[in-house]
Amino acid sequence: MAKEMIAMLLAGGQGSRLYALTEKLAKPAVPFGGKYRIIDFPLSNCVNSGIDTVGILTQYQPLVLNEYIGNGQPWDLDRLYGGVHVLPPYQKASGSDWYKGTANAIYQNISFIERYDPQYVIILSGDQICKQDYSDFLKFHKEKDAEFSVAVMEVPWEEASRFGLMVAGEDDRITEFQEKPKEPKSNLASMGIYIFNWDILRKYLEEDEADPNSENDFGNNIIPNLLRDNRRMYAYHFDGYWKDVGTISSLWEANMEVLDPEHSGINLFDDDWKIYSRNSGMTGHKISAGAVVENSMLTDGCRIKGTVKHSILFSGVKVEKGAVVEDAVIMGNSVVKAGAVVRHCIIAENVTINENAVVGEMPSGDENGVATVGDGVTIGAGAKVGPKAMVRNNIEGGEEQW
Amino acid sequence: MVKSSKSALGIIFPNSYDALVPELVNVRLMASIPFASRYRLIDFVLSSMTHCNIDNISVMVNHNYHSLMDHLDSGREWDLVRKNGGLHIFPPFAEKESKPYVGRVSAIASILDFLRDQKEKYAVITDTNLAVNFDFSAMIKAHIESGADVTAAYNQQELPENLLKSTSNDQGYYYTFDIEDGRVKNIFVNMREKGIQNYSMNIFVVERELLIDLINTAFVRGEQYFERDVLLPQLNILNVQAYKYDGYVARISDLKSYFDENMKLLDDYNLDALFSGPPIYTKIRDDNPTRYIEGAKVQNVMVADGCIIEGEVENSVLFRGVKVAKGAKVRNSILMQGSVIEAGASVEYLVADKNVTIRAGKEMKGTDSFPVYISKFRVV
Repeated sequence: MAKEMIAMLLAGGQGSRLYALTEKLAKPAVPFGGKYRIIDFPLSNCVNSGIDTVGILTQYQPLVLNEYIGNGQPWDLDRLYGGVHVLPPYQKASGSDWYKGTANAIYQNISFIERYDPQYVIILSGDQICKQDYSDFLKFHKEKDAEFSVAVMEVPWEEASRFGLMVAGEDDRITEFQEKPKEPKSNLASMGIYIFNWDILRKYLEEDEADPNSENDFGNNIIPNLLRDNRRMYAYHFDGYWKDVGTISSLWEANMEVLDPEHSGINLFDDDWKIYSRNSGMTGHKISAGAVVENSMLTDGCRIKGTVKHSILFSGVKVEKGAVVEDAVIMGNSVVKAGAVVRHCIIAENVTINENAVVGEMPSGDENGVATVGDGVTIGAGAKVGPKAMVRNNIEGGEEQW
Repeated sequence: MVKSSKSALGIIFPNSYDALVPELVNVRLMASIPFASRYRLIDFVLSSMTHCNIDNISVMVNHNYHSLMDHLDSGREWDLVRKNGGLHIFPPFAEKESKPYVGRVSAIASILDFLRDQKEKYAVITDTNLAVNFDFSAMIKAHIESGADVTAAYNQQELPENLLKSTSNDQGYYYTFDIEDGRVKNIFVNMREKGIQNYSMNIFVVERELLIDLINTAFVRGEQYFERDVLLPQLNILNVQAYKYDGYVARISDLKSYFDENMKLLDDYNLDALFSGPPIYTKIRDDNPTRYIEGAKVQNVMVADGCIIEGEVENSVLFRGVKVAKGAKVRNSILMQGSVIEAGASVEYLVADKNVTIRAGKEMKGTDSFPVYISKFRVV
């Protein structure tokens, strides 16, 4: 029984630019938007687009991610034939390899893909926040009779040189690919989402693997090789919300944009395109008399007695009396104790911020760092964490970290 | 799996006491009444059973049970999709001669063959009118240690006012115990005395084989009610031990108590008492977090996921997906899943059932002693 299209989700990224947030977990497992993890977005997109078979390529700190994915039931991806499969690198008779690059990760799982005999394979990335209908993308791919299509976003010309750019003609056919060029010829940034005809992808993966000088990377090797051979390559324009959340500031920003769906375009309140996640199972959140909650998002299990402004609080977060939380992203089960002030920052899961501690500050002038506190850290009473600080270890009471 | 000598199966009666809350069970039954911002009443006993390794559970649905079937589905949320045991829903057979179950006797009699086939040594019987985080393991342990034939759980509280005032028995039977040295000496049916009573929680532990015997005999005699017709006449023969429960009990006995028991959870002390134990599972709706838009004012509320709050909300319990528009005022109210309070509307002491809409500018006010109830899908 053949599948028309299956998805391969690249989730091996270490996310080193997220520092303290990815010390213990892979980037796709980083919490986002009050109750999600980043990987919920591509997974939900798959199931909402009618893709029921997803291979997740992992290799960095896979524990949290593996446990989170489980049998795939929260995304309706527990299937008899297909469903979600976590695919770490594995030992073979002839030795074992870590995934050397994005293309190599797919190459090492050719036999997984072949089990489903797909016509098309969509390559997804596990570090983006985006609601996208992949069936629409596939329709485009078929209409163009393409062998390879890439989803692209128009970006402002002045920022174009930060991206991998697709140069395409009127008919969307790609003629050139520029990786972070100094002089961009296009403002169509690759979103790192590709649809391949499987026979073509397989051929180029095998050719790439045979090349000892290759970096085994889609952007650096596979796409240039396709261009060299004048393959039918097309750029699919996507104009919805898309954000690479690979850095602390972009992750913070994307969270804040969730608070303003009317302007940012990232609407999580969409019954027709739900984002699924594993649920905390906690009771409704509680806002006590005397608390202040303004322009914020709260999740099940929160207990608010202090002040919360323009912030996103994940499940089970406690804000005690007299504490102030502003412009902050606070992940699951963290506690802000009485009198503590938490501003313009990202607090990871299970953090305790003790009485009267100060974390981060509102931007002023050039100072606009996002203070970040890593998973499980305790900030001592009266301690101070500066606006650019990256806290990985406990801070004793009264001490400072900048 | 081989069942240990301590293992038990569960039998749940989701329609018990439906007659006490006619408004709320118009389109459902007691077990599927929404409670505490995101649960249905059955979630409490069901989750408690799961946490006590009771994973072979029969739900004896009788009528109006579509909402419960929808809620329970395969039982996955309670980890009850099992090869051995799991969740069984037993409606009455729809045959010419058959009728809905009247009491527990005819209901259990209809599954005697099933019960004979099970491996568990004990059976645990409950209703669903209680929100409790109940430790069934402790009760089974007490049952084994006391050597009782039947163990019956009770808590000490006053009888609800509506029951005391009632002049008929057509809202069903409730029971209080006379206890001596831990043994139930007498069972009073529909007692109307004020003051603290040993109020039966209708939670029983009994050996499965004894239950089969008792039900078999009672059914042949045309008896209906387990407590009134099986236990009460045999108190001198059967060793019925009383098991006092000191944990938090929210007991639904009419619309007013439904309102009050929800409101009581706004007090952290009560909330922790009910929820600090193992988690209560419920059907997952995959809602987004709740959003408080600029201008929202909230004080002393419990709110589930998926709500959008732009107006003022005070002393209220909001279920999943409720919308309170700009300028709307919600006070001392319970708004079930999907209710919408439009701009400038004002509600107080209101129980809005699922998907109720209060149109812009409208006012709905009940009182502390008499909250207004608006039925499912109504537009005011």
